Amino acid sequence: MLASILASGLAVGAIYALTGVTYNTMFMTSRVMSFTAGQLGMVGGVLGSLFALRLGLPVPLALLATLLCAALIGVITELVAVRPVLKSLDQHLYVLSTLALATMIQHTVAVKWSTEPQPFPAVFGFSIAGVDEKFWLPLVTCFAVIVGLEVLYRRTLVGHAFRAIAEDNFAARALGLPERNLRIASYALAGAIGALAGFSGGLLLLAFVANGPLLNFYGFVPVALGGLGNNRGAIVGGFALGLFQQAANFLVGGIFSSVAVFALFILVLLLAPQGLFGAPAARRV
Amino acid sequence: MKLNRREFTLGAAASVAALATPAIAQTEPLRIGWLAALTGPTAAPAIGFNRGVLFATEAINAAGGVKGRKIEIITRDTQSDPTKAVNGTQELISSARVHGIWGPTNSGESLAVTPIMARAKIPNIHPCVVDPLIDPVKYPNAFRLAPSNTQWDDAVRGYALKILKVTKVAVIGDATGYGVAAAKASSEGLKKDGAEVVYVANIDATQPDMTPDLLRARNAGAQAIVVWSTSTGMDARLFNTRAVMGWDVPFVGHPSMSSGDIAKLLDKPENWKKVYAIGYRSCSYDEAGKLPPRSEELIGKLKGKVDLSDTLLWWVAGGVDAINLFAKAVTETGSSESAEIIKYLNGVKNYPGYFGEYTWSETNHNGYPTSDVVMSDASTARDGTFRLAPGYQG
Repeated sequence: MLASILASGLAVGAIYALTGVTYNTMFMTSRVMSFTAGQLGMVGGVLGSLFALRLGLPVPLALLATLLCAALIGVITELVAVRPVLKSLDQHLYVLSTLALATMIQHTVAVKWSTEPQPFPAVFGFSIAGVDEKFWLPLVTCFAVIVGLEVLYRRTLVGHAFRAIAEDNFAARALGLPERNLRIASYALAGAIGALAGFSGGLLLLAFVANGPLLNFYGFVPVALGGLGNNRGAIVGGFALGLFQQAANFLVGGIFSSVAVFALFILVLLLAPQGLFGAPAARRV
Repeated sequence: MKLNRREFTLGAAASVAALATPAIAQTEPLRIGWLAALTGPTAAPAIGFNRGVLFATEAINAAGGVKGRKIEIITRDTQSDPTKAVNGTQELISSARVHGIWGPTNSGESLAVTPIMARAKIPNIHPCVVDPLIDPVKYPNAFRLAPSNTQWDDAVRGYALKILKVTKVAVIGDATGYGVAAAKASSEGLKKDGAEVVYVANIDATQPDMTPDLLRARNAGAQAIVVWSTSTGMDARLFNTRAVMGWDVPFVGHPSMSSGDIAKLLDKPENWKKVYAIGYRSCSYDEAGKLPPRSEELIGKLKGKVDLSDTLLWWVAGGVDAINLFAKAVTETGSSESAEIIKYLNGVKNYPGYFGEYTWSETNHNGYPTSDVVMSDASTARDGTFRLAPGYQG
C-alpha cells in the first residue's frame, strides 16, 4: 500500500507541480494569474493522443507537434485574454478573460475530440525497477523541466530578461527590455510546459477532456501554497499535494479525499496567506 | 330569432369548418415529433434510435401509410440540453401540432419536458431510465418503452444473488447524481434481499488510480462488484486494476461496461472477461450465436439498409417499435386524437415489438417486462448484440 501511495502520489504530484510551474511562468512576466494552465495540460494529453495514435506519427514527432501547438495556444492566450486587461490589473478582469478562454478551449476539445477518455500511447514502453512508465515518466519529465528552467533562468540572457521583468517591470522597461515580446515568449514557454505535463501524464490521466478543470484546480493549489511566482514552492507544493491526495484516497476513499485536500489547503492558507514559501511583498513608502 | 346576414355567414362558415375538420384530419399526415439528442455528449443512443425511426417510417409509408395517411417525422435535435428540449417540445406541440412525441432520449431532458407534455395531454413514448419520469396519475400521457432504473437494478441484483450466488457484494458508483442515487438504491435493494453489502463507494470518474478502492473492497471480502457508472474511462480503469491485482471478482452492472470505447483503454483484452453488463434478451445471442426469432427477422429486414456495426440493436429496435406503436394506435382507433391514442396505449397487452413485448395499463406505464432484462457478457459485442451472460435458463 505504501508503495502504491508513493508511486501514484509522486507521479500525479509531478503533474500538479508542472502545472503550477506553468501558472508561475505566465505570472512572471505579466502579473496575471492565467486560468488556462490546466487546460494546457489537458490539451497536451489530447494532442499527444491525436498525433501519435490517430495520425500515427512517431512519438518524438508527436511530442514536438504537441509542444508547438500548445506554445501557439499560449501565445493566443497572451493576445486575447491577457494583453487587453493589463491596463486594469487591479480590477482582476484577467480572471474573467482567462477563465472564458479556458472554457472555450475545453468545449472545443469536447466537441471535436470526444467527451470520453481516449487511450494514450506508451512513450518508452519499459518499467524502471518494477515501476511502470506511467508512474516514472511524469517524475523524470518534472526533473528535466526543473533543470531546463534553471539553465534558462541562470545561464541565458533570455532567462535573465524574464527574471528582470518579474522582479521590477518598470526598471526593466526603462533599461530597454522588449517587454511585450518577452511576455509573448514566456506565454509560449508556459504553453509548452503545460503540454509537457499533460503529455507525460497521458498514460496516467488518459486523453480526457475532464482533465482540464481537474488540473486547473489541483495545479493552482501548489501555486497558492508555494507563493505566486515561486517555482521551487510550486514544485514542493505539487509533490506534497500529490502524496497527500493519494494517502487520503487510501485512507478515506474517493470523494472524501477531495474534501480532505481542500480542507488542508484552506487551513494552510489561513495560517500562511502568502504561501508557505512566499514572502509578504514589502512596499517602499 | 332573426338572423342577419352577418350572423348567417359566420354560422355557415363555422358549420362548414366543423364538418370539414374531421375529413381534413383523416387525410392529413400523421405527425410524430422526435426529440433526439443527435449531437452533444449523449448522442450515441439517439443516433441509433433515429436509424430505427427512419427505417420504420419508410417501411410504413411505402406500404401505403396508416389508413392512407403518411407518417411525417418532425425531428428536433436537443443537443443533450434540457433547455433546448423544452423549446423543441413547445414548438412541436404548438406550431408543428404533432399527434404524438417519441423521446427525448436522455433522462435529464425528459425530466424537464414531461410536465409540459402532460399539460398539453400529448401522447408520449420515451426510453429514459430514471424512475420518477413515469407516473400514471401525474403524467397519464407518458409511456415508457425501456426498463426503468429499478428494473435494471432488479436484473443486476438477480444475477449477482441468484445466478452468481454470492452473498457479499461491493457497490461502486461514480460521483454524478445518477451514480450516487443508483448506488444507494442498489445497496438498499441488496440488503433487502439478504445480501451483505461489504463496501460502498462513489468514485470521481477522473480518479486515475482505482487501487485504493478495489483493495478496500477485496479486504472487506467482496465476492462480486456492482458498478453504476456512465464513464467508460472509470470502467476501464477498474478492469485494468483488477487484473494488476490478480483478482478475478466479477463486475456486474451498468451497460456502459459493454461500450466499444472500453476496448482501446484496456491494457489487455482479457481484462474484459467476467464483466456482465445490462442487456436485453431480444438483443442477446446464445452459445450458437443465434438471436431470438423475432430479432433475427428484424436483422434480416435491416440488412443492407441500416448499419448496426457501430450502434446497439436495442436502440434501432426501440426506434422501430415506437413508430410502429403510434401507427398501430391510429390504425386500431381510426383516429389520431390524443385521447384516443392514449386510450389505446393503456390497453396494450404483450404487444410483440422487436425490442420487447410491451404491456401498459391505466395504472402501469412501465411497459418493458423485467424478465427480459438480462446480463450480457460485456466483451462480446457483435453488430450491436451481445452473448448472453452464463447461467441463464432458456
